Amino acid sequence: MSFFGFDTTLPRDKAGGANSKGFFEHANPFNEVAKARKLQAFQDNQEEVLDFEDTYDGLGDQLQEAGDDFNDDTFGGGAEGSNDRGGVGKDFDFFGSTAQVSTAIEEEAMRYNLQYPSRETAPPQSRKPKKTGYEKYQDPGYIPEIEAKSGAWSHKPSTHSPGQPSQPEDIHVSTSRHTAPAPEAPQPGTKMMSLEEVEAALLAQAQAHARAQAAQAPQPPYPQPQVFPFPVDHMHPPQPYQPGPPPMPFNQQHAPPPPRSASPRRHNRMPSQPSHPSQTSQLRPAQQPLQILQNPNRARHSPQPSVDRVQGLPPYGPAQAGAAPGITHPQQLLDLSEAQRRAYLEEDAKRAKRNHKIFLLSKGNGLMTPQDKNFITRIQLQQLVTATGTSADPNPEASLNEDFYYQVYSQIRGAPRQHPTQPLGHFAQTYLFQTGIRGGGRRQHANGDNHMQRMQQQVQRAVEAAKLKPKNKQLIIEGSLGKISFSNAKTPKPLLNIKRQDSSDARPASGRKEVSPSDRKTILKNIEAVYTTLMRLEDHERQSPPPPTEGDADSIQAHLDWRQKLQELNTALWQELKVLDPIVPGSSIPHPFIAFLSFAKGKKAMPRIFRLIDQEQRLTILTMIVVHLDQLDVTKDARPAAGDSQPTLAVREEIELFSQTVMPCLLQYVNEAPINIVIGLLGLLVERTSIAVVAMTKIGLGMMTMLLTRAELSKESGVVSDQEWQQWTALYNRLFDTLEPLLGLLFPGPVNSGDDIYIWQFLATIGIGASPDQQQRLVIGVKDRVMETVQQSKTLPPEMASVRLGNVNLFMRAIGLDVEMLG
Amino acid sequence: MLFFSFFKTLTQQTVTVELKNDISIRGTLKSVDQYLNIKLDDIVVLDELKYPHLSSVKNVFIRGSVVRYVHLPPDKVDRGLLEDACRREAMAQKGKAA
Amino acid sequence: MADMADEAAAAVSEPLDLVRLSLDEIVFVRLRGDRELKGRLHAYDSHCNLVLGEVEETIYTIEDEDDGDETVKTTKKQSDMLFVRGTLSHPTVLASDSNDR
Repeated sequence: MSFFGFDTTLPRDKAGGANSKGFFEHANPFNEVAKARKLQAFQDNQEEVLDFEDTYDGLGDQLQEAGDDFNDDTFGGGAEGSNDRGGVGKDFDFFGSTAQVSTAIEEEAMRYNLQYPSRETAPPQSRKPKKTGYEKYQDPGYIPEIEAKSGAWSHKPSTHSPGQPSQPEDIHVSTSRHTAPAPEAPQPGTKMMSLEEVEAALLAQAQAHARAQAAQAPQPPYPQPQVFPFPVDHMHPPQPYQPGPPPMPFNQQHAPPPPRSASPRRHNRMPSQPSHPSQTSQLRPAQQPLQILQNPNRARHSPQPSVDRVQGLPPYGPAQAGAAPGITHPQQLLDLSEAQRRAYLEEDAKRAKRNHKIFLLSKGNGLMTPQDKNFITRIQLQQLVTATGTSADPNPEASLNEDFYYQVYSQIRGAPRQHPTQPLGHFAQTYLFQTGIRGGGRRQHANGDNHMQRMQQQVQRAVEAAKLKPKNKQLIIEGSLGKISFSNAKTPKPLLNIKRQDSSDARPASGRKEVSPSDRKTILKNIEAVYTTLMRLEDHERQSPPPPTEGDADSIQAHLDWRQKLQELNTALWQELKVLDPIVPGSSIPHPFIAFLSFAKGKKAMPRIFRLIDQEQRLTILTMIVVHLDQLDVTKDARPAAGDSQPTLAVREEIELFSQTVMPCLLQYVNEAPINIVIGLLGLLVERTSIAVVAMTKIGLGMMTMLLTRAELSKESGVVSDQEWQQWTALYNRLFDTLEPLLGLLFPGPVNSGDDIYIWQFLATIGIGASPDQQQRLVIGVKDRVMETVQQSKTLPPEMASVRLGNVNLFMRAIGLDVEMLG
Repeated sequence: MLFFSFFKTLTQQTVTVELKNDISIRGTLKSVDQYLNIKLDDIVVLDELKYPHLSSVKNVFIRGSVVRYVHLPPDKVDRGLLEDACRREAMAQKGKAA
Repeated sequence: MADMADEAAAAVSEPLDLVRLSLDEIVFVRLRGDRELKGRLHAYDSHCNLVLGEVEETIYTIEDEDDGDETVKTTKKQSDMLFVRGTLSHPTVLASDSNDR
């Protein structure tokens, strides 16, 4: 796996074995240079003949010779054409400045050549050339590898073909880092030279070629022009230290026309055929570029032609004859035929594009060692495994579990999701309306208001329906509150006080008892077990198979299995809820289900449970709650401590939570319940619970409001039989009688204490069903509070006042009155 | 992965990271990884007078292990969902162990 | 206040199972460096990373008085929602009890 297209295997992992060291692992790549200098010094002194064998330690043999293909990219040699386009090398213009003093250098080189002619021409045969490993670059037949390999770093079998006679001029190549002793073939002029000398020699030869080719050392015949019909120097590795001017002559169209004579201008090809010096100086350069184009290898990876390198060019073989001319000069372009020109320009554009691509890709080349790359690769692989490994998992549920919070949160809060295909609609159902239950977010109020609004609507509907009945005529006609005042005197305050004493006595008995730690732990365990099953059930529901198609046994079976599992889970859930555990009357230990509901998370589970159970189970839960209505934490703990107008913060939170979670479930059921069930529930409420406790609480009043409203609406809709209604009325009367002495105490705090809408709702509901006599008693019971509220609303800003009066009016209208009448 | 999953939902939110050396840094949570390393942008160091050396720093990468607390925006946390995610992870771990 | 940890250690095989029971309950957490947290537990993991809501942090510091005596000073801080880094702090969930609020 390679991120940048490199072969990232470590050298030790390569097939090459122990000896194959990467370039940078070499002891000292520059040893050879130092040696060469030393050798030079000796030779210059001419004092003794140094045996090369004595000084050469053979390190050169270990050099990595292959895979320099990307050296251009790595060291900024620049792909052809990129120089012109502001690519690599623009700010690295060694040649540009050097060229200005080229004459001087050339002169120097001349002198040098004259001074040491013998070395060039007659090397001592006794000096056995040592294999250096650089032979390959002398080999005109060498083609750089074009595969993307990290050749510079690793071992690769050499493609060098031994025995190829090398050119003596090849020594010029040593201006680059490929400084090395000449190869094994006869080396007329080989000797170790310093870098400067080599450079000088190179230039000198350029001169020499241009002016006096014949005077130069004899050139061995060029080996294989037919096979590789492009100049061998094109195959040399790039010359990073001499990027030089734009190497592609094509791109020099705006450059001043170079002298086309046999001048030593570096960017002009030197004629290599002594017999036609002037001709080739014009023709050769024109031919080569196109050949470059024609050779895909060359085109892709070989370094740019070292045009400026004037050295022994091989005589061009016949293969080149007839090749389309390349362009080194604008004039040449003009000389071409239209078709040629277009073809050329197209080629040029293509190549430029490709080179640019290569350049862009190669910007970062060489920045990292193989170890770095390996490290990165491992990190990437690791990330791939963690990122996609789960998606490859046969069980997508596993990946969901891993990232559950993020996935579902994103789904319900609209953040971008990683796996949008995953069906999460069920989760939205489960969690969307539960968010922010605690902590006072906006959502909480929206939710709470929602529930209260629904209750309000219910009550209003009942009130409106009741107003159509004529039974309130009497009150409306009488219209005055004088009668109410009269009745007020009859209200026996002492009696109320006694009653209140009773109720406060009753409360501690019903259990202000602390839950023992073991009970507590058991309850919490029960709750967590319920949650576990609940989540399994929700998951199972989410994984429901498609509806069975008829005749397809498999799909039917799958569906049956699914349903069976669903039923099993439902049963498990039901058992864990412990709703049907026996009720022990008078026990100080709360029923397990009631204990379940006394914890916040138990309350929170109810909407989710209600969604997954059937109607019968819902009714059972509702019945359990009604029977224990005075034993719920939200009722038995709801009485404010002495001197407080409201319960403690924790209890208020639980009450709030209960109204947001449990109450809507119950309301939903009751709203559809037939009258006989409502009668049964109210009967249980009156018989089994302490109304004195229940009526003092928000939840208790809410529950009664719920049942009373449902009965009124059922009756209005005309589905209630006379017998049922008689039952109901009997129950109602019992309830009213129990409630009457408590009416004045329903309000927990003084008139300015705020939240009393649920009380007005309840009063309105009870008022609807009341007989005229009961209505009067009702008015007497709460008259003071009505008057206080009306008075107080006059001191409030109009908006708040109308809200307060609206609440009161809900009740007033239920008994056929209106706050307007109170003036 | 519970908390990694959790923190991913809090990116782009303003959080306050309290380090074990008592420095508190408030900033925009840019990213978090499975080690709960934290990247913060546009940071402000609380108690700047005490830690002036950070006054010119704009972005920080905090190694997870040096964190003591991260104060989070409560309205960006879905408590019920978080608790369920926690239960799921506990169940998964138990299933693995069994 | 009920101390659940001791009692449940015998019954519950995994200590973290016990912590799970305290989800969405008020817990007390003792941290290194004489710090205590009280808040509602919303999440935990096997490293004992925690998320607590409505947290009160109590820090105990010893201060030298002028007369040479050492007094324990308590500092209290509030946070609406707090992630507590686990792993190295080894927090101990001492007890959970929502009744004492």
